[in-house]
Amino acid sequence: MNWKDIRVLYVREVVSAMRERTIVTNSILIPLLLYPLLIWLMYTGFSFVSGQNEELTSRVMLKNLPAFHDALRSTIQSEGSIVIVAAADPAADIRTGSLDALIEFVPVNDGASTLENNFRARITYDESRDRSDQARGRLIESVSKYRQDFIERQALRFGVSGAELQGFLLESENVSSGRQMGQFVLGLLIPILLIVMLSVGGFYPAIDSTAGERENSTWETIMSTATSRSNVMMAKYLYVATMSFVAGLLNLVAMIFSMSSLLGPLTRPGMPNFTFRIPMESVPVIVAGAAFLSLFIAAGMMILASFARTYKEGQSMIAPFHIALMLPVLFLQGPGIQFTPGLAMIPVLNVVVMIREAIQGVYRWPLIGITLAVELLCILGALRVATMVLRHEDFVMGTYSGSFGRFARERLLGRKP
Amino acid sequence: MSYPVLVRGLTKTFYDESRGEIRAVDGIDFECGEGEIFGLLGANGAGKTTTLRMLSTILTPTSGSAAILNHDVVRDPEGVRKHLGFYSAGTALYPRLTARETIEFFARINQYPSSRVPERVRYLVDRFGISKYADVRVEKLSTGMKQKVSLARTVAHDPPIIIFDEPTVGLDVLNALEAQQTIKELRDEGKTIIFSTHIMSEAERLCDRIAIIHGGRILDCDTLAGLREKTGKHYLEDIFVQYAGRPAE
Ligand SMILES: Nc1ncnc2c1ncn2[C@@H]1O[C@H](COP(=O)(O)OP(=O)(O)O)[C@@H](O)[C@H]1O
Ligand SMILES: [Mg+2]
Repeated sequence: MNWKDIRVLYVREVVSAMRERTIVTNSILIPLLLYPLLIWLMYTGFSFVSGQNEELTSRVMLKNLPAFHDALRSTIQSEGSIVIVAAADPAADIRTGSLDALIEFVPVNDGASTLENNFRARITYDESRDRSDQARGRLIESVSKYRQDFIERQALRFGVSGAELQGFLLESENVSSGRQMGQFVLGLLIPILLIVMLSVGGFYPAIDSTAGERENSTWETIMSTATSRSNVMMAKYLYVATMSFVAGLLNLVAMIFSMSSLLGPLTRPGMPNFTFRIPMESVPVIVAGAAFLSLFIAAGMMILASFARTYKEGQSMIAPFHIALMLPVLFLQGPGIQFTPGLAMIPVLNVVVMIREAIQGVYRWPLIGITLAVELLCILGALRVATMVLRHEDFVMGTYSGSFGRFARERLLGRKP
Repeated sequence: MSYPVLVRGLTKTFYDESRGEIRAVDGIDFECGEGEIFGLLGANGAGKTTTLRMLSTILTPTSGSAAILNHDVVRDPEGVRKHLGFYSAGTALYPRLTARETIEFFARINQYPSSRVPERVRYLVDRFGISKYADVRVEKLSTGMKQKVSLARTVAHDPPIIIFDEPTVGLDVLNALEAQQTIKELRDEGKTIIFSTHIMSEAERLCDRIAIIHGGRILDCDTLAGLREKTGKHYLEDIFVQYAGRPAE
C-alpha cells in the first residue's frame, strides 16, 4: 500500500464523481432532500385531509327550541361552519344525507327541573357518515359553550361566583398521536432510511468506478500506470465507502435539521404533533454504525461489480445486494424485536437495532461492542475475498459475463480450467 | 549488449467458453534497440494486442518472459510500468477530467517526481499544443484534441519506452499523420518505441524494424530493406502476403 498513490487516485475518483450528475443526485441530493420531501408530503397530506372536512358546513335543524333560549340559535350560527335549515322529515333526510344532524329540545320534568328554564337536548345523527358525525361534534361544542354561560349566569343569580363554580377543573391533553408518530419515525424510519441511503449512496459510485471504467475503456489506462492494482482498488474502495457514508451522514443531518426547523412551524393545532428530538449522545453511536455499514456495503458492492463490463451488468450484479440489505431490516422492525447478543451477531440488522436503541436513549455497551466487532469481521472478510479476486487476471479484462457468481464457481471453486 | 526490451518465448493462452483453448500468442522472441521504432505488423487477431498487454503487465504471460530495462514483467510489474508509456485503442481518457488535470494525474500516478510535476504539465501542454483547451473537460473535446491529450498523458512521466497499439485506428488521415509525426519525434528524442499496426503503409513509413506476426507467432523480423531482400518483393503488402499466405477462403 502506497498512501501517496492512493490519495492521488482517490482525489481523481472524487473529482470525477462530483462532476457526474447521477452520482451527485443519488449520493448527495436525494439523501439531503429526502426528509424535507417526506415531511412536506405528510404535511400537505394532512392539510388536504383536514381541509376537506373543514370546508364542509354542517346542515343542522333545530326543533322545539324554547323561546327563552333563542340566543342559542345565534351562538350556533356564529360558528360559521353550521347552517340552520328546516326539513319536513329530518330522520329520513339524515339517513339520505341531505341533512347532517337534528337537535331537539325537550323540557325536563325530573329533579333537574328545579332550575328554571333548564332543558334537555337530543341530537340525532348518522355515525356512519363523517359529515354527520362532524355536525354532532360541532353542535356539542356550541351547546356546551352556551350551557356553560347559562350556568354561570344562573349561578350568579344564586350568589355563586364564576370562579367558585370553576373550583374543580379537569384538564387533559392527548399526546398519544404525537408520541406514537415520533416513535414510529424514530425507531423505524430513521434506521431504514439510513441503510437505504448508505446503499444508494454507494450504488452508483461502485458501478462507475468498476464497470463504468471498463465501459469507458479507462480501466486499461489505469491498470497500465505505475502503481499497484491493490492501490488502485483501495482508492476505489475508500471512495465508494466515502460516498456511501456521506450519503448516510447527509441524510442524518437533513433529518435532524428538518425535524427541528421544518416540522415545528408547520405543525398547527389539530394536526398530529411530530416534534421530537434525537438525543445528541446517540449521534456518535449512529455515526459509528453508519461508518461500519458503509465500509461493509462498499466492499460487497465492489466485489460484485468487479467483473461487470458495462454499467448495465454492474447494475444487475449489485441490485440484488442492494435489495438484500433492506429486506431483513423491513421484516424485523417490529417493536417486539429485542437487542439481544444473538441479534447483535447478525450483520446489518444489528446496526439497525443498535441505532434504534440509541435514539431511544438506551446504550448497552457490550451489545454495541459485539455489533461493531461483527461488522468489522464482515468488512475484513469482504476485503479478504476482494484480494482473492484481485489476484485473478480475469478481473483485469472483466469476464464471466460480468457475473461474480460465475467467476466464483469457475475460478475460486475451480470447476473450469 | 542489453536491450531495453527483451522478449523470449512469450506465450499467452486464453480459455474461451465457445472456442476452447486459444493460443493468442505462441512463443515469440524479439528485442528492441534504444531509440528505434519496432513495428509489429499483423492482421486482426494476430496477437498484437495480447503481446503488448503482456509487455505492459496488464496480462500475465502463460509462459516465457519479457523484460523492460531489465525489469521482469512478472516479478516487477510496477518497475516495468514506471518506465513505460502504454497507448492503445483500449486506453481512453477520463471524460470528466480536464486536459490539464489528466496530464497531471498521470504524471503523479506514474511516479514522476512531485516537485517537477507542474513544470512537466506546462511543458506537455505546450509541446502538444493543447493550451487553448487545457482547462476544458475531455468529454467536450474533438477526436483530434482527445488524441493529443492521450499522447500527452502517455508520456506524462517521460518514460524511456513507449508502446503504441494501433494508435491510428479510428482517426482521419490528418490526425493519423499527426500521430505518426509525434511518434517519429519521440524516437528522435531517444525513446524506444514499439508500434503495432495492420496498415502496411504505416509500418513502411515509420518502422526501423518490422516483425511480421501471424497466428500468435513472429514469422520474420528485419528492416524493410532486409525483408525486401529476403523475399525479392518491393511492397510490404506483397512481402506480408508471402509470409502469412493467402487468407483461407
Ligand atoms: N481476453 C480474451 N479472452 C479470450 N480470447 C482473447 C482475449 N483477448 C484476445 N483473445 C483472442 O486472442 C487472439 C489474439 O487477439 P489480439 O491479441 O487482440 O489480436 P490483434 O491485436 O492482433 O488483433 C484473438 O483470437 C482473440 O480473439
Ligand atoms: Mg489489437
